[in-house]
Amino acid sequence: MCVGPHSSHTRAAPWRTIALALCTAASLAVAWPAALRAQSMDDAIFMDRRVLCAGLLYTREQWSEYWEGSRKRTSGNIGDVTTQQATWMGAYGVTDRLNLLASLPYVWTRVSQGVLQRQSGSQDISLGVKYNALSTPLTSVGTLHVIGVAAVSMPTTDYSPDFMPLSIGTASRRATARGLLSFQSHRGWYLNGSAAYTRRGNVRLDRVAYFTNDQLVLSNEVAMPDVRETAITLGYARPNLVVPIVLTNQVTLGGGDIRRQDMPFVSNRMNFTRMDARVQYTLPKLPGVVLHAGVSRVLNGRNVGQGTTVMAGLLLAGKL
Amino acid sequence: MSRLARIARAAALAVVATTVISCDRSITQTEQLPSLVASSLDASAGSWKMIVLSAPNQVAVPAPASITSDAYRLELAAIKSAQRVMTAAQRERIAHWSGGGVLRWDQVLRGLVARYNLPPAPRAGGSYPVPDASNPFADPAFPFANPPYAARAYSFVAVAQYEALKAAWFYKFQYNRPSPARVDADVRALMPVSELPAYPSEDAVMAGASVAMLQALFPAAVEEITRRGADQREAALLSGKASSSDLAAGLALGRAVAAQVLARMSTDGTAAAVGTPMQWAALADSARARGEIPWISLDGPARPPMLPNFGAVLSWAMTSADVVAARPKAPFSTSSAEMQAELAEVRRTVKGLTREQRAIALKWNDGAGTYAPPGHWNDIAAEYIRDAQFSEVRAARAFALLNMAMHDASVGCWEAKFRYFSPRPSQLDPSIRTEIGLPNFPAYPSGHSTFSAAAANVLGYLFPGAAPTFKAMSDQAGMSRMYGGIHFRNDIVEGSAHGDRIAAFTIRFAQGDRAP
Repeated sequence: MCVGPHSSHTRAAPWRTIALALCTAASLAVAWPAALRAQSMDDAIFMDRRVLCAGLLYTREQWSEYWEGSRKRTSGNIGDVTTQQATWMGAYGVTDRLNLLASLPYVWTRVSQGVLQRQSGSQDISLGVKYNALSTPLTSVGTLHVIGVAAVSMPTTDYSPDFMPLSIGTASRRATARGLLSFQSHRGWYLNGSAAYTRRGNVRLDRVAYFTNDQLVLSNEVAMPDVRETAITLGYARPNLVVPIVLTNQVTLGGGDIRRQDMPFVSNRMNFTRMDARVQYTLPKLPGVVLHAGVSRVLNGRNVGQGTTVMAGLLLAGKL
Repeated sequence: MSRLARIARAAALAVVATTVISCDRSITQTEQLPSLVASSLDASAGSWKMIVLSAPNQVAVPAPASITSDAYRLELAAIKSAQRVMTAAQRERIAHWSGGGVLRWDQVLRGLVARYNLPPAPRAGGSYPVPDASNPFADPAFPFANPPYAARAYSFVAVAQYEALKAAWFYKFQYNRPSPARVDADVRALMPVSELPAYPSEDAVMAGASVAMLQALFPAAVEEITRRGADQREAALLSGKASSSDLAAGLALGRAVAAQVLARMSTDGTAAAVGTPMQWAALADSARARGEIPWISLDGPARPPMLPNFGAVLSWAMTSADVVAARPKAPFSTSSAEMQAELAEVRRTVKGLTREQRAIALKWNDGAGTYAPPGHWNDIAAEYIRDAQFSEVRAARAFALLNMAMHDASVGCWEAKFRYFSPRPSQLDPSIRTEIGLPNFPAYPSGHSTFSAAAANVLGYLFPGAAPTFKAMSDQAGMSRMYGGIHFRNDIVEGSAHGDRIAAFTIRFAQGDRAP
């Protein structure tokens, strides 16, 4: 059975549904400094068996205000920081209940003031598996789905994470476990709640000592605190339109604050709350083609920029 | 579920499990310090040449009570009873400090520099406040431990320790009182206890001198500094290395020597190093009068230059006439063809930067928030000093010589920088972007190059077998600045040669200091 906000339409219009559903695996918008920049794999949508969906998403995030610890400020040495990503992503239905997911962003960063060099490169590849453990009718209104996601992520190039906020990522290997409950009404409304825990591996710098969290560390290795993420999605789905509104909260479980007038550091305690609004639209005449658009805004944070992000994407789906 | 699905799921779980399990997240720090067993007592150190003090016995240390006296027996009894009730934390501190007091204090100092090496944040109107020594906890905190401040701090702390330890050695071999663990078999030796006489305690001498120096240099860290001094003295007592009278005499000696060194530090000219807006303007006017493009700050908002009068600060091994005589010749004129060629080279280098070059730029960056370039060379030196198993007084000599040379390099470099007041590559060509933070002071000559050459020469003098290694490091540190996009090649070449000349003064001192 296909599980998605529009599952009641699955049998009637399989292609349309497939495209719409699968391709909802949208990348979450970027929150500087890219702690978890990759695809979040946080939705309740599954590809049907043997369906492959793949495409490109473009995001552009910009901020001028950021939180130095909890102090909100701007910096004349950076002005606006812009991060653009082109993310290749794909999903494949091994079965209707088990999907494989992958994504790989290419990232560009730049500042509008000061002298710091722009950076760009292929960032971290993410591979995940998503499993629909349980789907059960709940009341007469809709269906409850219980979903688990496991994912790993690792850098594809040896970019340096030691040039924040311009580094293209944290260069940390990550393993994420996510649990997701999704209640989908027969009328198209749906409500998701998810919680994820990401374990992060140490990263290596090109220098032999660094100071963070009030401590001088005589090593080129940096311990990366783990990250907890919770998200609530309220959405509405029609056969060729899905509109999710997502509220995401990321908490880094350790790490130091950016010190007064210091540069950010890779293991900083990067927390934020962000609101996302997205639209996914399947072309009525080309049901294998899904267009994505979205905006997001960081509402509150610590050691991150108050980014505003726009996103656009094109995904294609088809049965193998 | 299909067979394919089972395989896919198993594979995915295996990938996750492997990644998680292979994440060993404990950080192994370098510079582990095993218990110091000095390769020599350095019994002659009481006669080595003094630097600030006129003689090793300038500060009087009274004769200790006899080891057969009742008073001393009570001290031994106190150690024995304290050893019976030691906590795990006390044992840890003994293990920590047994790695060598001089090496430990150097680590403490590097941590303090890194903590305080942050420039003031601009005010809302775009001006910058100046750190205030009389209000060190404010925003901005005092001090801003920038490279000249740091070089001076490393040198004054090292010299104070060295002077105090030479004085301690003088009295140790005058009074020849053994350590408690050697006097009384019931006192356990929980650190390596040598034949070095215990009175006055070298640990307390170091604690007294270091605490006094560091409190003056980093007043907002007084609590941590005081605690570390107390820890070191407690570890010496509990380990059977020193009795309470050994410690009391050492503490008093260390403090008294530090007072002499602080007297020099407070009048070395640093107080006037920040300068005045009128002086800053005069620097630019002077460059323009010579037909040169003057340096301007590219910080946003523009920031006053870093310590423009630091070139007038007192040096260790050079007179002010020596500083002027050693000054590099003028840089290429900003209107010359040579400068255009230099600019093109930086542009080309930055544009075609390899990952390896970027790594070198980041490795030697040592910018804001770090222990600064002199700290990097202390970091390098520490492992050589550890591996050589220097006695405390010889370790202090090594750090003193190294840091005296780097302070002199800092004075000489700043004197030249603000005499020439030459622009950075990004000022002459805004298309040149930097891979590291752009320092807020003139380019020529390169401070990294001067510091590094001075350090490499002194370390090469102390550890001749590794001299080529130090030289290679110094050259790499210099070139890192061009890879970073913040220096011209000529800044690096002339800065390095300047560092060589400056180190020669310190090495000349070392050659005549009577240390065998």
